[in-house]
Amino acid sequence: MAEIKKKEEKARSVDPACEEVFATCEESPVGFSWDRLAKQQPQCGFGMKGQCCRICSMGPCRVMPDKEKYKYGVCGVDVDTVAARNFVRMIAGGAAAHSDHGRGVAETFLAAAKGEAKGYEIKDEQKLLQLALDFGVEIGDRAMQDIAIEVGEKALSIFGEQHGPIPFIKRAPLKRQEIWKQHSMEPRGVDREVVEIMHRTHMGVDQDPVNLMQQGSRCALADGWGGSMVATELQDVMFGTPQPIIGECNLGVLKEDEVNIVIHGHEPTLSEMVMVVSQAPEMIEKAKKKGAKGINLGGICCSANEILMRHGVPNVGNFLQQELALATGAVDLMAVDVQCIMDALPRIAKQYHTKFITTNYRAKMSGAEHIQFDEDHAEEIARKIVEMAIENYPNRGTTHIPQTTNTLVAGFSHETINYLLGGVFRAAYKPLNDNIINGRIRGIAGVVGCNNPKTVHDSAHIALVKELIANDVIVLQTGCSALAAAKAGLMLPEAAKEAGKGLAEVCEAVGIPPVLHMGSCVDNSRILMAATAVVKEGGLGDDISDLPAAGAAPEWMSEKAISIGHYFVASGVYTVFGTTWPTAGAPGFTDLLFNKYEQIVGGKWDFAQEPSEMARKMIEQIDNKRAALGIDKAKERVLYDMAMRRELDAG
Amino acid sequence: MGEKKIKKERWDGSEVEILGETYEEGLPEEPIRWRSKLGDRQQMLRYLQSGERYWFSNDWYGSERRKTPA
Ligand code: SF4
Ligand code: SF4
Repeated sequence: MAEIKKKEEKARSVDPACEEVFATCEESPVGFSWDRLAKQQPQCGFGMKGQCCRICSMGPCRVMPDKEKYKYGVCGVDVDTVAARNFVRMIAGGAAAHSDHGRGVAETFLAAAKGEAKGYEIKDEQKLLQLALDFGVEIGDRAMQDIAIEVGEKALSIFGEQHGPIPFIKRAPLKRQEIWKQHSMEPRGVDREVVEIMHRTHMGVDQDPVNLMQQGSRCALADGWGGSMVATELQDVMFGTPQPIIGECNLGVLKEDEVNIVIHGHEPTLSEMVMVVSQAPEMIEKAKKKGAKGINLGGICCSANEILMRHGVPNVGNFLQQELALATGAVDLMAVDVQCIMDALPRIAKQYHTKFITTNYRAKMSGAEHIQFDEDHAEEIARKIVEMAIENYPNRGTTHIPQTTNTLVAGFSHETINYLLGGVFRAAYKPLNDNIINGRIRGIAGVVGCNNPKTVHDSAHIALVKELIANDVIVLQTGCSALAAAKAGLMLPEAAKEAGKGLAEVCEAVGIPPVLHMGSCVDNSRILMAATAVVKEGGLGDDISDLPAAGAAPEWMSEKAISIGHYFVASGVYTVFGTTWPTAGAPGFTDLLFNKYEQIVGGKWDFAQEPSEMARKMIEQIDNKRAALGIDKAKERVLYDMAMRRELDAG
Repeated sequence: MGEKKIKKERWDGSEVEILGETYEEGLPEEPIRWRSKLGDRQQMLRYLQSGERYWFSNDWYGSERRKTPA
């Protein structure tokens, strides 16, 4: 029996740091997401496959195409419309989350430009000028502050844009813009697009899956080329455009002899300020007075990615490691803002000495202390949070900090990739395009997204990325997926030895890893920019859908992932998700997404349970695109043999 | 720093000596702060026109050369 339990536990994560925590928590009464998932079995099959509708009180209805009795809901709806409504509502949820984050950034930016947000400033003037050009803001010799105020106002107005298309879609390849126009998919402001989805999916409104998806596409595009892109761009202006930087990651970055503060969530406005304050000499002095050697700041999820990309602040872990970080007993304070925060955290924190703080009025949690963060008093509030952590340090009980840490190079913004490929005087994507054309690089893959306890933690990300680079596909990553690859050592230049010969040669020549960390979830907009630059450079077609490229989220779980996936599809990218597929019980609608949609937007969805199957599909897509471009010199797919797979399984 | 030469196989199977990688081995201690090389506003705007020419140059349209500029 004990033997079986051990085996089950082994299947939770491929990360040895997680194993170390599991080993110390066998008796934990709270348990982790994996335990709760086991208790939830069997989960509802109707909900899982998109067959459940509960948008009016004549329901809830379960609608099944193959059971005469359940063929229609009480209102008469069929399963394809039910699944389509559920799916576009997921897009709306994800787009709203990214974009409300973006709006918050725009508000802070505008306040900073007006000098009303102490502690925030314009750090990257060049990026500000870039936005001024995008928005048609006059530059001349106007003061930076005046330009910033106008840019901030224009950025903020994007969210509520009622009629015209939002300005950033002009960044897309011309052919792509034509496709959107032709299919009435040019996005207006995300606020309008989300509201329209909620209207159309209300009982008795839009009942045509194709029409629902047209709005779903418009909303997703308003996220990718709107809300998310605004967030990325303004964050770059305020906190700096990411440049290559070394960082450490995994639970082992927590320190036995320092005050550990963990920031979890998404908005860098909080994490940046806590970072500044935690480095202040008077704070370090206070920590020393309490017996600590210093203050150690770390992040989880995208808060972590933001400060890692810009400052090299250690990343404690990805989504499924948030509970484990608390279970080390070494976190003196965890402060959270919005998104991807497990509801169990305050309960777990209570088992240890950890102070658990919520900081955003949108995201309060019972059992947590709330300290409202606002940009007018950002420094003051950050100081209060850091002081609380210091005060709490002497209350620590026994700690179990895993010994595992991993090193990575982060900071690959689109601008930095452009620079690294060519230098200040000849920055260009040409070397990348040339190497794709000559076949050294087979294609480009974006591998992004979450963790999900239904898939062994990190296993699918790592297996997929390894197989892609072994096949000469360069991989761009964001979010929790990026951290999975970093923990596997794939974000170091020496990872080139795991790449195919051609890709390895290019990486060695340029001095980059074969897997590039491009940032947080909103920074998927950087991947859109990189793909557009490759198109505009020339030689690989004239639209994103012509590129030998593919996207994937092997361990996705959130609505944000669906919104991201769909703005890639609607931008022309073949996109494969793993773990589970939310419309699997609606054959007609799934066929629209997996097949017919390609004729409309040039990109389409797909699903693959296993990472090797996912890699096969992505490489097949890349090879088909190479063939269409006439650059299809034969390249055999490198298959992982059993020995390589065993090595992978061993983590 | 001397030039590093490496041996590679040529397309016809013969061995040739070529210039090896030019970057320094190991990981940089300091972040690569390339953006600080862009000094004043004029330089920044010039960089946007050249480095980010896909969007900001007057005469570069790459794959879109034959079409009306954006
Ligand atoms: S909208 Fe139709 S399918 Fe949905 S709950 Fe109401 S009656 Fe049932
Ligand atoms: S990748 Fe997924 S889990 Fe991770 S921060 Fe983004 S949405 Fe959350």
